[in-house]
Amino acid sequence: MIYRIRHLTHYEYEKPVSLCYNQAYLLPRDTDYQTCLGSNVKISPFQTVGQRHIDYFGNQAFHFSLEQPHNELIVDVESEIRIHESKYQRAMDLNLDLGATCSQALAAMQQSRDYAVLEAREFALDSPMIRAAEGLRDYAKISFGDDRPLLSAVRELNQRIFQDFTYDPKATSIATPLAEVLKQRRGVCQDFAHLAIGCLRSLGFPARYVSGYLETLPPPGQEKLVGSDASHAWFAIYSPTEGWFEFDPTNNNMAGERHITTAWGRDYADVSPMKGVFFDGGGKQKLNVSVDVRKVENSQYTA
Amino acid sequence: MDNSAVVKPVGFSYPRGAAGYDEVYGSQLQMQKHWQHLFDGLQALGGQGIQERQMKAERILRDDGATYNSGASPFSNIWQLDPVPILLESEEWEKIESGLLERSELFNLILKDLYGPRTLIRHGVVPPELVFGHSGFLRACQGLMLPGEHQLVLHATDMVRDASGAMQIIGDRTQAPSGAGYALENRTVMSRVLPSLFRDSHVHRLSLFFQTLRFKLNSLASHMTTEQPRVVILTPGSYNETYFEHAYLANYLGYPLVQGSDLQVSKGYLWMKSLGEMTRVDVVLRRIDDFYSDPVELKSDSSLGVPGLLEVVRAGRVVIANPLGSGVLENPALLKYLPQIGSHFLGREPRLSSVKTYWCGDPQDLAYVLDNLHHLVIKPIFRKPGTTSIFGSELDEAQQLQVKDLLRQNPLYYSAQEYIQPSTTPSWKGGQLLPLPTLLRGFSVADESSYRIMPGGLTRVGAVGTLSLTNQQGAVSKDTWIIASEPEKQISLQEERPVPRQTVKESKAAFPCRVVENLYWVGRYAERAESALRMLRTVFMHFNSTYHMPESTRQLLLRAVTELTTTYPGFTIADPELYKHPESELLAVILDSTREGSISSNLHALLKCTDQVRELLSTDTQRVINDIRDQLDALGKGISADLNAAPEEALDPLVTTLLAFTGLCQESMVRGLGWRFMEMGRRVERSVQIVRLLRSSLVKVLPEEEQLRVLETILMSNEALITFRRRYHSESDLSHGLELLLCDNSNPRSLFYQIELLRQHLLKLPARGGVALGLPEEERFLLEASTAIQLCRTDVLILEEGKTGNRGALDQLLARLQMLLQETSDCISDKYFDQVKAHQQLIRTNWEEEL
Repeated sequence: MIYRIRHLTHYEYEKPVSLCYNQAYLLPRDTDYQTCLGSNVKISPFQTVGQRHIDYFGNQAFHFSLEQPHNELIVDVESEIRIHESKYQRAMDLNLDLGATCSQALAAMQQSRDYAVLEAREFALDSPMIRAAEGLRDYAKISFGDDRPLLSAVRELNQRIFQDFTYDPKATSIATPLAEVLKQRRGVCQDFAHLAIGCLRSLGFPARYVSGYLETLPPPGQEKLVGSDASHAWFAIYSPTEGWFEFDPTNNNMAGERHITTAWGRDYADVSPMKGVFFDGGGKQKLNVSVDVRKVENSQYTA
Repeated sequence: MDNSAVVKPVGFSYPRGAAGYDEVYGSQLQMQKHWQHLFDGLQALGGQGIQERQMKAERILRDDGATYNSGASPFSNIWQLDPVPILLESEEWEKIESGLLERSELFNLILKDLYGPRTLIRHGVVPPELVFGHSGFLRACQGLMLPGEHQLVLHATDMVRDASGAMQIIGDRTQAPSGAGYALENRTVMSRVLPSLFRDSHVHRLSLFFQTLRFKLNSLASHMTTEQPRVVILTPGSYNETYFEHAYLANYLGYPLVQGSDLQVSKGYLWMKSLGEMTRVDVVLRRIDDFYSDPVELKSDSSLGVPGLLEVVRAGRVVIANPLGSGVLENPALLKYLPQIGSHFLGREPRLSSVKTYWCGDPQDLAYVLDNLHHLVIKPIFRKPGTTSIFGSELDEAQQLQVKDLLRQNPLYYSAQEYIQPSTTPSWKGGQLLPLPTLLRGFSVADESSYRIMPGGLTRVGAVGTLSLTNQQGAVSKDTWIIASEPEKQISLQEERPVPRQTVKESKAAFPCRVVENLYWVGRYAERAESALRMLRTVFMHFNSTYHMPESTRQLLLRAVTELTTTYPGFTIADPELYKHPESELLAVILDSTREGSISSNLHALLKCTDQVRELLSTDTQRVINDIRDQLDALGKGISADLNAAPEEALDPLVTTLLAFTGLCQESMVRGLGWRFMEMGRRVERSVQIVRLLRSSLVKVLPEEEQLRVLETILMSNEALITFRRRYHSESDLSHGLELLLCDNSNPRSLFYQIELLRQHLLKLPARGGVALGLPEEERFLLEASTAIQLCRTDVLILEEGKTGNRGALDQLLARLQMLLQETSDCISDKYFDQVKAHQQLIRTNWEEEL
């Protein structure tokens, strides 16, 4: 299965920006479940050649700068992803009610000398936007009985977040702290992912933030609207015996073949789609993002 | 300096202290052999002699502008140097040296590994949290590699000697280690303060260390350019505690000293904003912490760094030393694992031992630390401003509980070290030699294939009873002499002095335009302060004279003071009380540093600008600047509000000092761009001052007698009165006076003279900008001003306009000239100086990027 994704980011400034430097995470990475067949970035209003590099987490970072005055900035990314359905199938078939228990997993995290486990311990630590906290632990712990299989507990946590929290784009911004989200029980996919990660880390389990896309399906019998998709975020948990597993608390499921990964990191701050600095430009700026995720028969990249 | 009156030491002794290890005695009762020569010398000098040397050292340091800005005081403090050096025998030093060398190699391997394969973590040599939980581990720096063998270019190591006499390392500096420059300055001063003792002791020289540093920095760019690479030193600015050292090293090594705003990333390269152009930078020796160096990828609200810098580094188009990310090594908890790390990389434990260290992230260690707080030093694993070591022995019970709580809550972020009672070294304090606790910082610099260790280092001694030996806490420094136990005859007796710096041809690219701009403002502020001082001096003198001044003249002169200094509203408000008692307002114009335009505020601004260009000022100039500072401080006390007490005399020394400053700049500055801009600033400012003065004092028509009085006042404040009297004694009238001040091309204080000089300077500046049609704007303005002055007829200008009581034509001409000068100044700023702007963040982050 191949997806073609178009991600359009459009900034409009109050006054001309004289100079800007940016880092973007808009180019999908390869994972066990997907291969990026190709991607193309167009920057306007000025032709700009950006630099790509593979970052610390294995993501594709993209850097560019504009050195002429501009009133707007458009970053138009088109990419194609092949999803390896069979691998997803294998993951889906896994019985989450078997496997290492929470206490076994915790012990293995501390004792294992396995490379992968040692490296995963990075994701059990605090990160810029997510700090372990009493409140998070209290919320999470009823699902994590010592003898309960870890993944089954995570599935329950995922479900509880889905049930207890209301999806509400007006309630939060990227600046809303986790404690606030927990209190008002509202937020968006990014908040829910952060919340789940915070819960898991507060209990000592490594978890990471995944940003990407989810293919949405139009109501039966209707045409899909252009630009109706959005970027999405979910999380992954590390089990020392079974590896990384991705859950989507916004949709109460595990990430599957309709989830397309762009990048992952400790939290949003590691992989924010666009960040950077600019000079001048006045006080206000307007941001418009539109995303299209479409299944295609053939890739334009593989001849 | 006046403490010499208090302490009159005659002789001294240095008895064996009661406890601990002493550098002189070791653990014996007998003085160690290598100290004998120094002690004989000191004995010969006597207490009085040592005292004098100490004062001499202080004077030299002050003249050199050697300061250390401690956080506690808003002013910079003179760097503290003890006249008694610490001596280390070369045989022992060889062991320390090889230990430091090995340690630098080891730290280099750690750095390479942590931003590369991370075998230390993957093989379980160190716990992952030790690295992943450290805020100095910058993930954005993964894979950045310096060309050549070594990632770690500079490394500093703090060590103390324990009670058994063994050196123990207590910490490392791996980001932008400070102190090497201070060590060099200490050495330079000591070789002048104790010249014969120094010469006879055959002290190992420091200069090779700095030559190696320069060689290394130049070689870092060899893959980019075959020409002489451009190396800059990046400083956070003049408020930084060790700014003196940044400027000192820049001068010594011959590199421009730049701030983040002097640099810009463009077209994939790093550039220095030089005068009217951009110059490519190949290598940056950074003195800012890595986290602050790029707001795009690191701390997003940092204004100290350069946006986009990291991406240029990644592309290999600029090299930064020490590399960004090297702060990860400044983790005291790392010391706990050094033996294992040594075995992992080198197959052996490091020779030079580190202090016994615990990491609270290890449950067993945490338990030990909680039980043994009283003999431990708690150090956060990541140093940020405001965090200091906690000495367990200094805590009361409540504080202990607090600290324990802190450790339990954030165990990963704290380490603990056994407290080592440092050895003591004789130090001159209050007229006697006291045994003070001693800390030595050693320095390594990467060489082609290995490291070179500075033979010596920066020694600091604390006061008796203090546990912390940092400069922040007021420790005093010492020169560190490595000496042969048997004098080695073959060692060169050449004086230790700074290697003359590379002759850098002063081109427009020699320094960032910020420096040029500051020089321009040095010129302006110096002239502005001088002009105000002269005016006030003259006004005081007239008010004091026996001649009774009519009220209208008095008011006019007072208003002229306000107009000239722009200390509005001042005397421009028609307040009879104020005119009757002008003293406090006049004093405010002199002393109130919060009043813009006051003499004090101008001099403060002048000092601030000279701070910014310190590396370009000669020692003599620095001394004059010190005098200005002193006199400014003294002025508040010396000047009396009583007009009868001749307050003008209190102003004389400042006028003289400012003249000395002008003279020095005139006589000793290279005729390069820096000098030219300072001169231009001076000329612009003097022009503005003359126009203001004429406008405020001569536009109003006064009775003839009074008119002459006012004219004489302003001639006097412009040093033209004598000429005027000599030249025009028979026909001393207003039009001749005006001629002398406005149009006379032989009077160096006439307006015409300033404008003509300014025009000549402009012609010599490098061309700037695209192809313009005709004359550049600023030259047009000046041409118009020059022409207007040449065409004017002073006998017409002095005529009253109708019955208005004003000289309308003169007022119009001066108003036009004022405008032209303002436009000229704006043009120069726009054209040659960089308009520093703050950046905005694309997404406003409020999370703490630093854990």
